Amino acid sequence: MSNKQRAFLFGYSKRSKFLIEELKKKSFLLSVIASSKEAYNQAKEDGHIDILQLDITDDEALERLNVSEDDYLVSLLEDNHFNVFLTLSLHSLFPKNKIIALSDSSHTTQKLKMAGATKVIDIYQVSANRIHNILHKPLATKVIEKLFSPDTTFSLREITISSSSPLQNKMVDDINFFKYGIILIGMIDRQLSQQFIFITSGLEHELNYNDVMVCIGYDKDLDRFEADNQ
Amino acid sequence: MSKTIIKIALYLNGSKRYKETKNLFFNLLYNSNYIYKRYFDIFMITLILLSVGILVYEVKNPVPQWVDDFDVYMVTSIFSLEYLLRLWVYNDLHRMVIKEYNESIFLNRSFQIKIPLKAFFMGKFSYITSPSAIVDLLAILPAYRPLRVLRIFVLFRIFKLLRYTKSIHQFIEVFATKRFELVTLLFLLFFIVITAGVAIYVFEEKANNNINSLFDAIYWALITISSVGYGDISPVTPAGRVVSMLIIISGIAMISFVTSVIVSAFSEKLSELKEGRIVEEINKNENFIIICGYGQMSRMFLREGGILSATYVIIEKDKNRVEMGIKEGYNIIQDDASRHDVISKFNISNAKITLLALTGSDINNIYITLNAKSLSKNIKVIVRATNDRMGKKAILAGADNVVLPNITANKILLFAITQPAIYRAIYDIMTGQHLAHLDEIPTLYYYKLVGKKLKTIDFKRYQLLFIGFECAKRKKFIFNPSLELEIAKGDILLIMGRRVSIEYFKQLHEEVSI
Repeated sequence: MSNKQRAFLFGYSKRSKFLIEELKKKSFLLSVIASSKEAYNQAKEDGHIDILQLDITDDEALERLNVSEDDYLVSLLEDNHFNVFLTLSLHSLFPKNKIIALSDSSHTTQKLKMAGATKVIDIYQVSANRIHNILHKPLATKVIEKLFSPDTTFSLREITISSSSPLQNKMVDDINFFKYGIILIGMIDRQLSQQFIFITSGLEHELNYNDVMVCIGYDKDLDRFEADNQ
Repeated sequence: MSKTIIKIALYLNGSKRYKETKNLFFNLLYNSNYIYKRYFDIFMITLILLSVGILVYEVKNPVPQWVDDFDVYMVTSIFSLEYLLRLWVYNDLHRMVIKEYNESIFLNRSFQIKIPLKAFFMGKFSYITSPSAIVDLLAILPAYRPLRVLRIFVLFRIFKLLRYTKSIHQFIEVFATKRFELVTLLFLLFFIVITAGVAIYVFEEKANNNINSLFDAIYWALITISSVGYGDISPVTPAGRVVSMLIIISGIAMISFVTSVIVSAFSEKLSELKEGRIVEEINKNENFIIICGYGQMSRMFLREGGILSATYVIIEKDKNRVEMGIKEGYNIIQDDASRHDVISKFNISNAKITLLALTGSDINNIYITLNAKSLSKNIKVIVRATNDRMGKKAILAGADNVVLPNITANKILLFAITQPAIYRAIYDIMTGQHLAHLDEIPTLYYYKLVGKKLKTIDFKRYQLLFIGFECAKRKKFIFNPSLELEIAKGDILLIMGRRVSIEYFKQLHEEVSI
């Protein structure tokens, strides 16, 4: 992960605090934009230095932010109307940037997508599905929890095909993942698209430089696979 | 003698079979949450209607002997048996004996059988003299053929229907809520009828041939005020006609007043009645979900899983939200889930209940958890919390699982920024969408899989990904196991894929283990 990657976080609230802390740990350059004086003061009180206060409805102020094409724009405003409006403004001003937004309902999710958000995360969807899993699929719940728990050696990992990888030009079906005790669940096949494709889609894939495989397994097995194939 | 009585009481108290039998009859006769009570009620209603039908038909037509025997012996025996069973389950002598025995030991005094006996008979007497028991007893009498006059008690068989038909019961309850208004109106009616009756009697007793007594006058007043007006008695003097006009006007006012009282009683009780029906319907299930709080989280939960309407109920305090829920077609009742009496309305003792505390307040959710767990440890509680600290408190309060929507969403947001390639995989797996639907195949229901080696199952053919399985023997989840392994009875396979592929796979291997 490049330590020069930058993210603009719009909105300072309980929602954004966790993200700010975690992104800082991952050496992201962060710019927090508070939309109100209270939020700005609160952020200052909480010890955040790189914080600006601006009127998010003012396009000229947004343009002055000095956003480059690789920067992430994260819309975390608590008011859905402002969140959608900001997403639309950001999309019109910075059409090439990735815009990520939080939503609290399926209606808002739809509006955010229409407004130009690249990724919309519904706060309640994941938890609602988790409750269903708890009720009906205890085993699936256990595995998912294990997979995303910070204290586990069992994880999902993205493995990028390097220029020297022996996997280049091989068909996915020809690779023996089982030998390493890992499972390939999907990949980004750059020849097809930039989108993640699940292996269960049934497509045949040839691996090329810069393709990304996403595997599931124990860390030691994933390490072994990576070491042998880079 | 006392020793024998105590021995019998202790024996009955320890007898599982005795308790189960008595419980069974209690549930059949009184517990509206008991699944089989409905069948018992239907049976009794049918019996009542048949017997009333026979008795009415019999008035003018001869009935075959077997029909008469059925009514005299069969129906009456069942009614008598029911009466005796109700009397039996009403109280327990052995408990009273044991209580008296324990008290006598504690107080170091001699055991006195008359104390529990007195309490026992007093209890039975209070049951026997209760209105419903009197109706039950009188409903048995029409079967006594030598006294034809007893047939009038057939009416009590109709009254007996009240026990089994909840809607009539609710109708009476609605009237009971307006008892004060209705009694006031009744007194007013009584006052007007008597006054008008006396007045017409004084004015017309000599002038009107149809009014010969005070009874005739009161009869006329009642017929007039009710706007029935048979016309058999009508005033003939000017004074009598004035009384008539006044009584007609007050009659119209009274009818309007009574109508408005009844209508307002129903409109006030309507939502309560509807909610009562929802609770009653949900209690018929062996498994159901109580969702506390109606907000985005609850909506999402209901939309995501295709939950059947008969298997859940939402409890929400806020009136506006309740109205919104009703508009959106959900089973919702307006109440406070943190109240003991609200949750205890549900069939806690017999049903498997899952309670979801999904309100927007951590304090409420924790209180709801404590309330549910204080009622029964068997209620499974899943709590929504805003952060880990609140989640820990919920676990301390007895919650079985905690969901942290904000934290989880933030974690996914973090993946979206820091590991964009796997974000889609994570989001889809966690939301169970598209091609990443994780599902379990329990071999108890898909028995065709038992005995097969993993390598012989071509998951790829079904566009499925085999993740691992829970080994019943080792009680452990095995990730990506050796393909040489053989699937055993009780194992649960975990697979991933499209819903349609999973359903097809399940369909092919469906067979229930016996």
